[in-house]
Amino acid sequence: MTKDELTGYIMQHFSGRLERIENDQPEPYFIVHCDDLTALARFIHDDPKLVMNFLMNLSAVDTKERFEMVYNVCSYPLKHRLYVKTVFDRDHPEVDTVMGVWPAANWYEREVWELFGIAVRNHPDLTRFLLPDDWNEGHPLRKDWVGKDVVPFPER
Amino acid sequence: MTEDLRTEEMIINMGPHHPSTHGVCRLVLTLDGEVVKKCVPVIGYLHRAIEKMCENRTYAQCIPLMDRFEYVTAMSTNWVFALAAEKLSDIEVPERAEHLRVIMGELNRIASHLLCIGVTGLDLGALTPFLYTFREREMILDLFEMTCGQRLTYNYMRVGGVSQDIPPEFIPKCREFLSIIDGKIDDYERILTENPIWIARNKGVGIIPEQMVYDYAISGPAARASGVNFDIRKDDTYSIYDRFEFDIPVFYGCDNYDRYRTRLGEMRQAARIIRQALDQLPEGPVRAKVPMNFKPHPGEVYARIENSRGEMGIHLISDGDKKPYRLRARGGSYNHLMAVPQIAPGLKIADLVAVFASLDIIMPEIDR
Repeated sequence: MTKDELTGYIMQHFSGRLERIENDQPEPYFIVHCDDLTALARFIHDDPKLVMNFLMNLSAVDTKERFEMVYNVCSYPLKHRLYVKTVFDRDHPEVDTVMGVWPAANWYEREVWELFGIAVRNHPDLTRFLLPDDWNEGHPLRKDWVGKDVVPFPER
Repeated sequence: MTEDLRTEEMIINMGPHHPSTHGVCRLVLTLDGEVVKKCVPVIGYLHRAIEKMCENRTYAQCIPLMDRFEYVTAMSTNWVFALAAEKLSDIEVPERAEHLRVIMGELNRIASHLLCIGVTGLDLGALTPFLYTFREREMILDLFEMTCGQRLTYNYMRVGGVSQDIPPEFIPKCREFLSIIDGKIDDYERILTENPIWIARNKGVGIIPEQMVYDYAISGPAARASGVNFDIRKDDTYSIYDRFEFDIPVFYGCDNYDRYRTRLGEMRQAARIIRQALDQLPEGPVRAKVPMNFKPHPGEVYARIENSRGEMGIHLISDGDKKPYRLRARGGSYNHLMAVPQIAPGLKIADLVAVFASLDIIMPEIDR
C-alpha cells in the first residue's frame, strides 16, 4: 500500500482515536492516546492488510512538557512502515506494555523504564539494564537530568 | 544408590570476560550438568551513554561517536547517521559520494562477515579459518586506511557526502581484491562447508524458527537463514541500491549452518555490487555544500540501512538546532541477544558458544 492508502485504511478503522501528522517522510505518522495504544498495536499487527509484525525500534522522547513513546513498526511480508507515537503527562509517566503484541518490546521497554523513568504497566521484568546495579542518580535521558560529575562539552 | 546420583542444578556466570562473548557480556546460566536450562543475559558493561552524548554535540561531532556505537562496521553506522540527518534537510548528495558510500558499505559488510566466519571457527576450536579470513580482511582494512587513514573507526561519511575522495591507487587495489575474493570464498567453502566437524557442530544447532524472527524482530542474515526474505536494500531501498543487480541469499535451515551459508552468499553478492559501483563510478564532487554549523529542519525521522548484522537504524529528532534533540540508535545484535534466552534451553554450553558466534553478536551495539 502507498502512504496515502495506508493512512486512509488505518484512519477508517480507527477513526476519531488517531491524530494524523503530515510530514514528507515515507511512512504515515500517527499520534494515539495512550489508553488506545494496545488496541491499535493489536489491530495493526493482526489485520491481514497491514501485518505490522516487525517492531523495528521503540524509544521515548522527553519534550520538556510531556513524554512521548515512539513505535517504529514495519511489515516483514508487505514491507510498509508506520510511525506511531503516544503521548502522556510528565507527572504520571505510565504506559501499557506492547509485549503481548510484539515480544521484542521487552528490552526496549526496560530501557525506557530505566533511562526515562517511564513506568511500563504489566511488563514482567523491569530490572536494571544498561546502568550499573547501584545507580541512584535518576533517569539520565530526561532533559532536566543533571549528572554529578558531568563536564559540559566545550562549544566551538 | 539413585539417591546418591541425584544431580543438582548449578548457576554459573559465563563472562563478562569470556573470549567467546564477543565484547563484555555476562550470561547467567542455569546448568544441569552440561545442558543449559536457562540463560539470562546481563548487559551494560560497555554502556558509554552515546545517545546522551550526542545530545550535546553538533552533527559533525556525533559521527565519531557513531563509529564507536558499532565498531565492526563503522562505515555503516556513519552512513545511517548521515542518512537520517539528510532526510531532515534538503541536501542533495553528489553521485560520486553515493557510489563511494555503497563501495565502502559493501566492503565493510565483507570485512564484517569475514570476521564473523573466522571467529565462529575460533569459538569452535578451529584456528585455520580465522587466519584465512583475517588475511582477506586485512586487504579491506588497507583499502580503508588508504581512503581515510583509519582501520577501525573511520569517521568517513559526512552529512552530505563523504569526507574525502579516494586516492588514485584505490581503484586498482580494490579491483585486485575483487578479483581474488570469489576464489577465497571458494577456499572457505572447501575448508568449512563440507567439513564433517563443522557440519556436526553447526547443523541443527541454534534453531530460530520463522515465528521467532517475527517475535524478536530479528533481521539480517539471521532472519534470511530462517526463510524470511527481508533485505532493506531491496525492500525499503536507500541511497542508489536500486541501480545495482544483486540477489538476496535466503536459506531455510534456521540453524547455525545456514546462517554461515547466508553470509558466504552475501559476501559474493557484496563483491558483485562493488564491481558494478566501480564500473559506474562518476567523476565529480564528493560532498555537498553543507554549512559548518549544519542545522536540519525540525522533525522526526527513522532512517535504516541493511548492516551486516541486520537492520541498523537511527531515530533522530531535531528541533532545528545544531545538535540532535534526541537520538536512538538501533542495532541488529540487540534483538539477537534478546532471542538467546529462547534459543538456549536444551543446548550444551559449547553449543551456546557456537550460537553466540553464529548470531554475530557485537556488544557495543547493544550497550551503546
